[in-house]
Amino acid sequence: MNPFTKFFTSVKLALVLIIVLILASVLGTLIPQDGSAQDYAARYGRMAGVLMRLQLTHLYHSVWYLALLLLLGLNIAVCTLSRLSLKWAKAVRPGFQFEAAGLLALKTSGSLKRPGKIEDGLQAVRRELGLRHYRLREAAHHNRRQVLARKRILGWFGSDLVHLGLLIILAGGILSGWTGSREFLQLEEGQSAAVPRSDFRVRLDKFQTELYPQGSVKSWKSTVTVIEGGRDVFSRVVRVNHPLSHRGVRLYQSGYGWDWTNPSLELWVKKKSDPAFLEKRRMRPGEHVALPGGLELKAGRFVPDFIIGRERRVESRSDEPRNPAALVEIVKGSETMLSGWVFANYPDFRGMHSGRGADFSVELKDAQAPQYSVLEAARDPGAAVIWLACILIMAGLFLAFYWPPREIRIILEENRGKTEIAAGGLASKNRESFESEFQDILSSIRRGA
Amino acid sequence: MNESTVFLVALVLYILAAGLYLAFHFSRKAGRARAGFGLALAGLLAHTAALIIRTAKSGHAPFTNMYESLSFLAWASVVAYILMERKFKIRAAGGYVLLIVIALMALASSPLMPKEIAPLVPALQSYWLWLHVSITLLGEAFFAVAFITSLMYLRAASRESRGQKPTPSSDKLDSISYRSVAVGFPLFTLGGLVLGMVWAYKAWGTYWSWDPKEVWSLITWFVFALYLHTRIVMGWKGRRSAIIALIGFLAALFTYFGVNYLLSGLHSYA
Repeated sequence: MNPFTKFFTSVKLALVLIIVLILASVLGTLIPQDGSAQDYAARYGRMAGVLMRLQLTHLYHSVWYLALLLLLGLNIAVCTLSRLSLKWAKAVRPGFQFEAAGLLALKTSGSLKRPGKIEDGLQAVRRELGLRHYRLREAAHHNRRQVLARKRILGWFGSDLVHLGLLIILAGGILSGWTGSREFLQLEEGQSAAVPRSDFRVRLDKFQTELYPQGSVKSWKSTVTVIEGGRDVFSRVVRVNHPLSHRGVRLYQSGYGWDWTNPSLELWVKKKSDPAFLEKRRMRPGEHVALPGGLELKAGRFVPDFIIGRERRVESRSDEPRNPAALVEIVKGSETMLSGWVFANYPDFRGMHSGRGADFSVELKDAQAPQYSVLEAARDPGAAVIWLACILIMAGLFLAFYWPPREIRIILEENRGKTEIAAGGLASKNRESFESEFQDILSSIRRGA
Repeated sequence: MNESTVFLVALVLYILAAGLYLAFHFSRKAGRARAGFGLALAGLLAHTAALIIRTAKSGHAPFTNMYESLSFLAWASVVAYILMERKFKIRAAGGYVLLIVIALMALASSPLMPKEIAPLVPALQSYWLWLHVSITLLGEAFFAVAFITSLMYLRAASRESRGQKPTPSSDKLDSISYRSVAVGFPLFTLGGLVLGMVWAYKAWGTYWSWDPKEVWSLITWFVFALYLHTRIVMGWKGRRSAIIALIGFLAALFTYFGVNYLLSGLHSYA
């Protein structure tokens, strides 16, 4: 055996590789993956550079992790092949080189004598083994017959199927990484976009968020139309767990959001001293409109989910309109009457107001922005390979654990009108039940006519 | 009867059963183990009823949050143990497996675990929830049985080395550990990895995203792969096998439990 094959036939190599993979994988769940350089610098300080250079920050896609997987793959392939040829020979061309003494030395063994000719004995052996679904092979030498009875020998190949499946998974994973793609389409109702790496477009007809009576989200639904060559082909609802599959591309409901760059705000201006004073205006950030009495209302910045962040700066915590707030200003000539943040959810909160006109109040009644749905367009030719591999692995595990091969070797010899029978059994799993079956067979042969 | 009452009845029955099993383990009076088995079976019936009531009330699978899945894991562990006891006559392990079951149920009923029935978030509305979670947790339940029998093995082996004759013998415990892994490993592979990948592909558009939960399932799988290869190919048995089985169950437990609380990722339901 050449040293290369020898190195890769070793199961110890597999064990070492698996242990290294376990340790590396654990490390990858301790270090946040695929973050930005700033995140790592903030978290690990001067170690950040080292971590990034060792590719520990995208560990599962690093060259060395892939190399470990490929080494394990090569190891599995070489190990499996080197054992497979022996097993195959044993399955297809079993040998009959066994002697009575050898059989009786086996853990499961027995011998008996029965009256009658060797042919009668052979009949009984065939019948009893056949009843228990053994497949027989026979050899004859002079006054001696050898019987090799086996069943469920597919079980020998269970582990090979599992290993083959694992190699195919590795290949499928590489294929996915190489040829697969995931791209995100952000569509507002009525908009359409070309689906990447395909020759069709999709249009978002409708996006709906359904709520349960208690208020939590029940589903996000995008009604989309597939357009080919300028023609609408069909419409379908895409929701979570129910992607749309078309020409090798799958469209997933992946997210949603609002385009808050230019929202439409409804602002109401009131005057405490004059309950009849109510001016409603719909406007956008940056605009200013005239109010009666020489006043002017200016809309400034808008955030959908107001929060005071680091260094007391106003930020939006999310894209969801959970706490919409607008910066507004009322001026009269060069004098600021009121300036500050107004909140849709807290119309009476004035803690962030300044200005001389305590008489005025502004309410943010409504803020609207176009909502969009995010569809993920995924293409993954590797997936089919993975499913095939999964079937092989499960079939292999079943065979390996629950299809225990059994082999019974029998020698019959005729001696002065009697037939002497020696038998030995081989099973690597479920020995107890094999032992009882074996003893059953022997006593049936002894009794059998 | 409401669910929490039935749940409590099951817990009390398990506690009584554990007491009887432990009494059997220390006294060797077979009647106690038989009574323990009967009570465990009665507890399992009550527990099953609690799960059914919950399913009927919520209209979804009884493992969509930590409370539900802990309860289901406890249930699966009792099922796994009862099957193993029937097949391999290992009554001595009953008390210890039930201690794990009781701990899981106590944790489930602690105030840390919200018990309200919440409507299902969109990501969990799939029949894959049933398949993926139930089969994975059943696999982990067999790992739990292997964990207990491995611990018992270590104790029995040390007593044997001092010339005592514990029952069950260390050999028997070693072989039962292996048999539990032999059931748990294909189940875990099917439920945790294969069906998990199928569902991820249906829900997220990719069958594998190196999410911490996925990685830890893979780690667990690797540990049991080590167990099987050292045992079948290299002939390891006994102490070293037992230690790998212990590590394997702890990895499974971390996959199930620790990842949710200590690591963040896509898989943030239960």
